[in-house]
This record gives sequence, structure tokens and C-alpha cells, in this order.
Amino acid sequence: MNTKTLMYIVKRVLLAIVTVWVVITVTFFVMHAVPGGPFIGEKAVSESVMKAMEAKYGLDKPLGVQYLTYLSDIVTKLDFGPSLKQKGRTVNSIIFDGMKTSAKLGLIAAIIALICGVILGSIAALRRNRFIDRIIMIITTAFVSMPSFIMGSLLLIAFAINLKWFPANGAAKNGLVLPVITLSLYPMAYITRLTRSSMLEVLGQDYIRTAKAKGVSGVKIIFGHALKNSLIPVITYFGPMLAGIVTGSLVVEQIFAVPGIGRAFVNSITGRDYPLIMGTTIVLATLIVIMNLIGDILYKVVDPRITLE
Amino acid sequence: MKKKLVSLVLASSMVLSLAACGSDAGTPASTDGGQTTTEGTDTAAKTEDKTDGDTAAAPAGEQVLNVCLASEPASLDPALNSAVDGATVINHLFAGLAKWGQDANGNIELQPDCAEELVEGVTNDDGTVTYTYTLKDGLTWSDGKPVTAGDFVFAWNRAISPETAADYGYMFEVVDGYADGTLNVKAIDDKTLEVTLANTVAYWDELLAFPTYKPVREDVVSNDAWATDPSTFVNNGAYTMTGWEHNSVITLTKRDDYHDADSVTMNEINFYLSDDANNQLANFENGDWEFIDDVPTNEIASLKDKYPDEFVTAGQLGTYYVCWNINEEILPKSSSLSGVEKERAKDEIRKALGLLIDRNYIVNDVAQGGQVPASSFVAMGLTDADGSQFYENAGGNSFRGYYDVSEDAYEGNWASALDTLKKYYTFDDATQQFTDFPTLTYLYNTSEGHKAIAEAIQSTFAGVGITMNLENQEWATFLDTRKAGNYSIARNGWLGDYNDPISFLDMWTTQSGNNDVQFGKGANADVKAYSLDITDLGYDTKVEDGTWSETYDVLISDIKTCTDPKTRYALMHRAEDLLMSTGCICPIYYYTDLYMISDKVKGFFSSPLGYKYFMYCTVTE
Repeated sequence: MNTKTLMYIVKRVLLAIVTVWVVITVTFFVMHAVPGGPFIGEKAVSESVMKAMEAKYGLDKPLGVQYLTYLSDIVTKLDFGPSLKQKGRTVNSIIFDGMKTSAKLGLIAAIIALICGVILGSIAALRRNRFIDRIIMIITTAFVSMPSFIMGSLLLIAFAINLKWFPANGAAKNGLVLPVITLSLYPMAYITRLTRSSMLEVLGQDYIRTAKAKGVSGVKIIFGHALKNSLIPVITYFGPMLAGIVTGSLVVEQIFAVPGIGRAFVNSITGRDYPLIMGTTIVLATLIVIMNLIGDILYKVVDPRITLE
Repeated sequence: MKKKLVSLVLASSMVLSLAACGSDAGTPASTDGGQTTTEGTDTAAKTEDKTDGDTAAAPAGEQVLNVCLASEPASLDPALNSAVDGATVINHLFAGLAKWGQDANGNIELQPDCAEELVEGVTNDDGTVTYTYTLKDGLTWSDGKPVTAGDFVFAWNRAISPETAADYGYMFEVVDGYADGTLNVKAIDDKTLEVTLANTVAYWDELLAFPTYKPVREDVVSNDAWATDPSTFVNNGAYTMTGWEHNSVITLTKRDDYHDADSVTMNEINFYLSDDANNQLANFENGDWEFIDDVPTNEIASLKDKYPDEFVTAGQLGTYYVCWNINEEILPKSSSLSGVEKERAKDEIRKALGLLIDRNYIVNDVAQGGQVPASSFVAMGLTDADGSQFYENAGGNSFRGYYDVSEDAYEGNWASALDTLKKYYTFDDATQQFTDFPTLTYLYNTSEGHKAIAEAIQSTFAGVGITMNLENQEWATFLDTRKAGNYSIARNGWLGDYNDPISFLDMWTTQSGNNDVQFGKGANADVKAYSLDITDLGYDTKVEDGTWSETYDVLISDIKTCTDPKTRYALMHRAEDLLMSTGCICPIYYYTDLYMISDKVKGFFSSPLGYKYFMYCTVTE
């Protein structure tokens, strides 16, 4: 790795930190500006109880002070504070619990999407305009255009209610099967189409023709020459795909009642659980920033022609 | 004995008239999520079948029940919980002095739990009432230590302490010493607990079964996180917590050391945690869960057909209503009325608008869950002094309530409402429309159910030329707006905390945090338009054209100190009369609760407050 690349990475990491800081700041102040609070319910609590709770969680201090305390707690102790709604639990433990499930869900979905997408895309490219190619294209078009909440509901009805092959509850045994499928279909379809078009382009290149002319076997052409180069667009899609899986899991976790971070995130907002809103936002934002960063760096590794600026 | 009798009558009347099993779904302590439902009398018979049958038979094989009430409970610390779903889990984990149970006929009644018996109170010279309870022998915590009277003393004082900041600390308001911060509760010895109440409380035994009244142990709760993990969770009830995968499932296992373990038939209960009604239904339909507490609103009609025996609708102590901001100007600009006359006119107009609403249509065609059209604010199911239904005696009319909600009466209501409104607004006979009615705005929290009801009211008003715009807000924002009084008309709902009308009435005092109408606040603080005369009930109070705080607030504090049940109930009717005379409260229907329970489950019941009891269930294959 040369100095230029290293400089680039350092620059990107610093930029990523600034991005996360901006996210923290904006979220913090917008969240407090939104009407409603964590202790307001349909049945009013008495003023003394309200005051006691605000004092307990430091919500009685000026917003600026709260902000600085919050930042210093994260930076120095990596402490996201206590949850205001799930009494007795810390945001750290809620996020940790949620991430265990969500990470499993997201990673499996990403791996499935990558493997199946590349294989299907290659098959489609090699069998261009044949029957199998048509079928793959029709199916992927359907998957790309169908939102996950519809896909999830359809899978739920078919495989959980009618066929009873898998549970409808994400927490049960084999409960992650349907959520993983729901979550992976869109990126899989997208990768299939990307791989197909880029491989078609690569297969038309002179060096492939040369290899063919020299009598290199088809399998070797595909795996030794064509695949690596046709994967460049797929790698650029890596960051957005993981971001898409993270955000997509908000919906999927709701449909299948998966105890992941997406559900915690959504519920924290409706409940105005300030520390949990902040914690989940920071974790998700950091995740997306890192994914994009890795995607960009990989991009460079795969294609040395690309200059990093 | 009298008290016991009253509670018995009350409980059984509840069973019969409310169709037995009450409950709540979703976020139970709030009326947030759309509507809840009933099928009325049909269900009564149905539930009785369920509760009567097969309980005595020894359970065959592994008895495991999979249920879903709602999402992750906010807390399973008895003092900190304020939701009905949390209360249900707590009732399986903790034993208080009293509990809800079933008598031999399957009727729901209050029974002693940790206490040997639910004793009668002794009235002291100063009007306070002292109860002395003896704890049963051999009561233990789940870690083997004995349960003592001191644990109750500690737990109750902890619940009212500002440091605990418990939502339901006010449930101890009736206990002497509450105002000073230390309850008049003493542990005479390890087995004897002495409680002194400020005065006679009709619903005291019921309070003893309330989750906030369950004991906790000092050394256990000194750890802030004690109630979040099975390893630190120590309790004294029928089950122990053997697992809690957060946001996923709570597992309770039968505790053989529980004093009444012999009658507990269900060995293991899995409380799955999901707040998505569609997901709950999917799990019920594929047979994984035997009980779900919420169903999608738009599926109600089809589920009733598809699962006639498993779809249960039951009574609930609550009212869905529309409330006015009392300070909202609704008279036409041209009106010259002022002072008391103006207030009277506004009262009359609001009541007339309330009469225009076709509650039967809303219940039958919009909400479709078998709710009961409401004609009073205090909900169906709350009992009167003589054990009859409070709502049936309300209003003092030949029909029940403050206006006639029977379908036949609607035309007459409509005509009389129009006559009233014509006194204040210009009515164009050719178009049959009012021409100078100010535009209204109706606020509701985002939900299909609330929206549909808002639209029904909107179109009714539009029929006579009254324009009402609809505005929806997300739940927490909505609560904030409504509490602050920044609305003209808003959707509202209230679920009682205990079976006593006061839980519907003391919320409307000037300083109450639930006074969404803004009685006695803002411009209304100086309005002298309310009259109260309770001299016939033995009080000195007689106010002509006083402020809200001179009338209603005084009345509520009289009710709270009244020791004679008959007078007390009479006073409560007066309070509701005064409340309803403003027209600011426009009841739509009495809430009902719906849930689905597999027909394989026998022995299930629920209490009037919607707590579900699974411990005496058996599952047949």
C-alpha cells in the first residue's frame, strides 16, 4: 500500500468521524425539539414524579449541558446511558442484544445475496437471450421492484401460515429463515443484474477473445479472467447494499417480530426514549459510514486503474 | 362482610354483563391503538363455557402455553409497571395480599393470596380505618427466604417514594400518611401487617390485588437492574422467571414452593413479545401461539366469521370519547352573548353537536367490533352503590345515560339538536345547512381506526353545513398537544384503573394532569357558570354560578373523604352530571377488549381490568 492510498484512507476515516459527529449533533437537537417526551403518557404522571424522573436522568439540565455530557460519555466511556423506557436496562445492553440478532440476519442475507447474485448473474450472462436468462431476468425484475414489506407479507402467508414450514415469529427456532430470505431477495436480484451486464461487457473485451483464441477453457476464462473484472460494479454496490440491508431490516424485523436493533430503533422514536434514539442512530450511522468506506477501499484494491482522490 | 358481598356482586355482575373476560391489547394502559371490541352477550355464554370446563381434570403431558400480550414490557418491577400487559406477567410472578380468582361457578372474584383472609376494617375514632392482615404460613421468595410483613411495608413505601418515581404511586393515595410521604403501614411482627386508611375505601380489597401492591424485597431491589434478568429476579408468586430474551420471549416456570402450587395447572408459560398485530395473528393462525391479545383492526369482521369460538370480545372499563377544548370559541362572530349566557350557549351547542353523532352507525359500521354506544362518561361495567351498573343510573332519565342512544331515538335527537343550533346560527332552509358555523378542527392520533371515526363525524357535520377539518399527529406529539390544550376538538379515551367511578371523575379537577378539556384553566379559570347544590346529601355546599374549582373540585374532594357509600355514589353521579352539563365530553362508545384464544386451552379467565390469568389453564391436544 503506497502513501497515497494510506493518506486517502486516513482522510476518509476522519471524514467518517465528522459525519458521525454531525449525525449525533443533528439528531440530538432535533429529537429534543420534537414535541412529546419520554415520561408523557395517556395517563398523566404527577408533577413530582415527572420532576424526580427528569432529575434522575439529567433531563432537567440545560440542553447544551446535556449535549456535552452526552458527547463526553460516549467518547470517554462509550456509555450510551440508561434507557428511559425499558426501566433498569442500559442502552448499551439493548443495542448489544439487538445487534446480535440483526448482525446475524444482515450478514447471512448479504452473503446469500452475494453468492446467489453472482452465480445467477454469471449464468444469465453466459446463456444470454436463452430461456434460462429470460427466466432469471423476469424473476429478478420482480424482486427488485417489490418492496420488502410486501415480499415479507407474502412469504409469511405462504410459508408460515399456509404451509407452516417456518415460524412467523423471528425469535423462534428457524425463525430467521423467512426474514433472511425477505431481506436478501432485493440485493440478490440487483447483484444478478449487475453481474450479468458487467460480465457481458467483459466477455466482449479483446483479452477474453484472445484467451478464447488461445484455447483456454471456458471455466478458466470465467473464473480466471472474466469474473474478477466483472465484479467491480458489484463491489461498488457493496456499501449501498449493506446500508440497504440495515434500513430494510427495520421493516423486516417488524413484520417477523425479530428482536433486532431495527425494532428497538423504531420503538425508541415513538416512545421518545432519548438515549436509545441516540444510541441506535449512532450505531446504524457508524455502520453505514464504515460499510461505504470499506466499499470504496475495496474498489481501489480490485481495480488499480482507479485513482483515489 | 358487606364489602365482601359488594365485591362479589360486583364481580359476578361484571362477568355476566360484560361478557366475562376483560382484557386489553397492544399498549394496554393507553387507548392509543384503534379500537377494541365486543360481541356482547354472545361472548358471555362462550366464555363461561371456557371457564367452567375441564379445569379439574389432571393435565396430560407437558403443559406449556405460548401466549403474546404485547411487546417488551417497560418494567416487571411491580412498582414501576403501569401497563396491563406488564400487570399480567407480574400477576403470574408475584403474590399480593389478594388476587383475582374464580369461584366454583367460574365467576371472577377477589380471593386472599398471601393474606389468610381479606379482613374487615375497624373504624377508628378519627374516621381512619385499620385493617390487620395475617400472612399465611410458609410463604417464601423464589430464592427460599421467607416473605415477611416487613416486605409489604417496604414495597408500599418504596412505590410512593419520589426516588422510585412510580407512575402508579398514587394508587396508595387512600392509605393514611400518603400525603406526608410515609404510609401508615406497620409490620406488627413477621406475619402481621397493619394498614390504616384515611377513610373507608369501597374498592380497598381490589387495590390489594393491584400489581403496585405486590411485595418486593429490599436487598433485591437495591440493584437497579434487578427486574431485567432472570438471574437477579426474585419474586414470591406462582411462577419463577426462567428466561428473558429481551424483545423476544419471557419464560415462566411453575414454582412448587408457591403456597397455592397445587391449583396451578400450567407448568410453563412463554410470553412472546410482539406488538405487531399482523405478526401476532400469523403466529396464532399457524398454531404456534395459543393466545394473542391484539388483532389487526381491519381483520376484525373476517376473524369473527372465521373463528367464531376463538375470537373473543369482552368488556372493558373504558370509554372512547371526543373532547372539546372548553376555551374554544364556537359561537358565530355576530353573536352578542357574553358572560354566563355565553358559556351556557356554548354548553348547549356542544351537547347539540354531540347529539348529531350517530353512535350506532359508528359502532356497527365503522368500528365493527361490537362496542356499546355510550351515553355517559363513566364506563359500562363500573358498579353503583347497590351493585347495579353505574352507567345505567346516570343522567336520571327514563333511558340510560344523558341522552338516548337507542337507534330509534336518533331521528328525534337530530331534530332537537338542529332546533338548538338554529337558536345561535343562521340556517338556510333551502339547502338545510348552517351558513355561519365556524370551521372546526378535529385532532386525532395517527391510526386507521381513529381516522375512520373522525371521518364519520366529519361527514355527519358536513350534512348540516358544519365544516370540520381533520388533523392527525403521531402519538407522543398528540398527547403533548392535547394536554396543553392546543386543539379545538380531540379524540380521547380513558381506561379505569379500578372499579370505582372516581377513577373516571377525579381526572377532571382543575389541577389534574389529565384535564385535557382545560376545565378551570386559561380563560375558563374565571368563568362563573357552574352550579352545585349538595345540601340534600347532608353537605353545606351550595354554589350558584361559581367557577369550576369552586364547584367540581370541591365536589371531588368531598367524594374522596365521604365515608358513607350511598352518599358517596350519589355525589359521584352529581359530579358526572356537572361534567356532562358542559357538553365538553362527548362519549362515543364503551371500550371492549378482543383477543384470540385457541379452543385447545381450558381454564382461562381475565379480571375486569383486563389482567389475563393463564396459571389455571390446561392445554388439550
